[in-house]
Amino acid sequence: MAAPSLSFSRPVFAKLSPHPYLLRTLAPQPPSDAAASRTNGRAPQEARPVHIHTSSLSHAHGSALVRTGDTTVICGVRGEVLPVANIPQYRPQATQQQQDDGDERADERGGLGRGELKDYDLLVPNIELATGCAPQFLPGVPPTTLAQTLSTRVYSLLHSCRVVDPKSLRIWYTPPTEVGNNMDTEEQQRQQEEADDGDDGPQLVAYWVLYIDLLFVSLDGNPFDAAWAAVMAALRDTKLPAVRWDPDRQAAVLQNNSQPTTTTATAAAAVPGQGKNSIKTTPLPVAGLPVACTAAVFPEKKHGGESMAASAAATVGNRHWILLDPDRSEETLCGETITMVVDCSSGGGGGETRIKSIEKQGGVVLGRELIRGFAGVAEKRWKEVRDAMQ
Amino acid sequence: MSDRRRINGPVGATIPPVSEDGASREVAGSRGGRSRPPNAIRKMYLKTGVTPSASGSAYLEIETSGRSGVSGLKLSCTVHGPRSLPRSSPFSPHIILSTHVKYAPFATRQRRGYLRDPSERDLGTHLEAALRGAIIADRWPKSGVDIIVSIIEGDQDRETSKTQGDESWDLMNALSGCITVASAALADAGIDCVDTVAGGVAALVSDKGDASPSIVIDPIPSEHDRILAACCIAYLPTRDEVTNLWFKGDLPASDTELYTKLVEKGIQASAKANRVLVECLGETVG
Repeated sequence: MAAPSLSFSRPVFAKLSPHPYLLRTLAPQPPSDAAASRTNGRAPQEARPVHIHTSSLSHAHGSALVRTGDTTVICGVRGEVLPVANIPQYRPQATQQQQDDGDERADERGGLGRGELKDYDLLVPNIELATGCAPQFLPGVPPTTLAQTLSTRVYSLLHSCRVVDPKSLRIWYTPPTEVGNNMDTEEQQRQQEEADDGDDGPQLVAYWVLYIDLLFVSLDGNPFDAAWAAVMAALRDTKLPAVRWDPDRQAAVLQNNSQPTTTTATAAAAVPGQGKNSIKTTPLPVAGLPVACTAAVFPEKKHGGESMAASAAATVGNRHWILLDPDRSEETLCGETITMVVDCSSGGGGGETRIKSIEKQGGVVLGRELIRGFAGVAEKRWKEVRDAMQ
Repeated sequence: MSDRRRINGPVGATIPPVSEDGASREVAGSRGGRSRPPNAIRKMYLKTGVTPSASGSAYLEIETSGRSGVSGLKLSCTVHGPRSLPRSSPFSPHIILSTHVKYAPFATRQRRGYLRDPSERDLGTHLEAALRGAIIADRWPKSGVDIIVSIIEGDQDRETSKTQGDESWDLMNALSGCITVASAALADAGIDCVDTVAGGVAALVSDKGDASPSIVIDPIPSEHDRILAACCIAYLPTRDEVTNLWFKGDLPASDTELYTKLVEKGIQASAKANRVLVECLGETVG
């Protein structure tokens, strides 16, 4: 009486002992001539296709939904106005000319995105994972370490890549020139004193602050790439409304399309087809298109303990596989990850590749050559994401 | 003390840009009336299985009304569980529901913070009440299930003009959507329910030109001049049972029948939403 053979279906085996299973699919034994693939059926250097939808949210100034495989993230960008009076550490630079000169100097210095953008904290990215996007991320607790790390990485990358030009976030106000003599001189004098030392040029009165909020709907590995793609897509989609500074209200007032100065609602309603969207908007200029590309290194030898496969096979080497765009199960098996941010958009698309950042965590496998080779992979990924954005 | 676990932005307060002139904007013509018959709900789109890593999930979208600048409702719901309760918790003979409703920061006119505010907690409590009546709770002793609804886009007029103070009515619509989407997600998770529960809203509105107030279902606050009262109903059609009833507003004392009528209309709205729900679940299973 033969004992019934104990055999599992593939998914069960993959769940029971993921490491040997992934190893076996990546390095098929000689009898089978299957191509090396991962548990999820992808080739080692094959990323999941990216799908991007923009402008689907009506309350945000710019929005994007990015889906790569089972990872889905929504990004909304919203601009709010920060009057300079509310900035405690504000250093005024009186005129537009000086401001532009200052920019040039900063450009010459090649500072790391320092300046107003960072000093006044004009970009506020936040990532929310506690939406039940994966079983370990439930609401009701403070942001997890992962959420904090991701937010910080997006924040620093936004500044180091200088994606947003601080010039486009400034709000200017030109005081009216009081040539009319209807106003009595006392009033005029008082206003003169109030104005910046009697300077009639445009004054910098406020800044736009961009709140970049990311919400993970579903998480299946590789959150950073998806989040960064969503940030870029949403920023490219952002259209800030044209505003006029109202010194009496100390607030920015939305400008209507039909009449730039004195506006009545009837005129706005007369524009057909536009409806209430008659508010003039200008697209936010976004410099470059950095794309993040993450891979995990899967070692033959299991971390920590001796793996079953390693002890069984005498010919155990230190083989490893670089798995591009890892999913959640692969992330748990891999100790070493690399994220490279590249931008190939300079020089009209076919230009040179610029590496914006490299982050590598854990492990000793990735050396100089492998990282250099990985830049080619990242370039390929850049093209995929670029195509998805258009 | 600001939350140091998030990126908080500038120290000084930021203000959203204000629209031109609050007063000049509220021309009656620009508001536009209701384009649907009084007993029709808006079209909705429901899909289950949007979050594969959760036990169950669903996405609900209610169409935007014809006017531009008014968003529809977009909700995503995930269900995690049933799972065992932590050891420290006391014995429970039935399943423990924990519901969370959270608006995304970009969901409404005003930017929302990341901490749950009281209105969101209130929505969570109502949602729990609505679902508790539908779940067969004693099949899972000593276990818990988490139901999380993220409101990706609220049902709100984009312009701040006359609609100030309408937020309380928006909550009703949000709750009815939450109930429907959570019910779909529970079914997707395979948690036994006596029936599918769906939400419906009916409101007593008064429009300019109308002599007496009328009852409509699935109201959009910006389409009406004034909402006098509204009620949100969670209803189980096959059992003919109401699991949650939320009523707000003032009814004129002259008509005592009005309350019953309003609830009846709410049930009608809920039954309509339920048809969409059942159809969606039928597609997924079949």
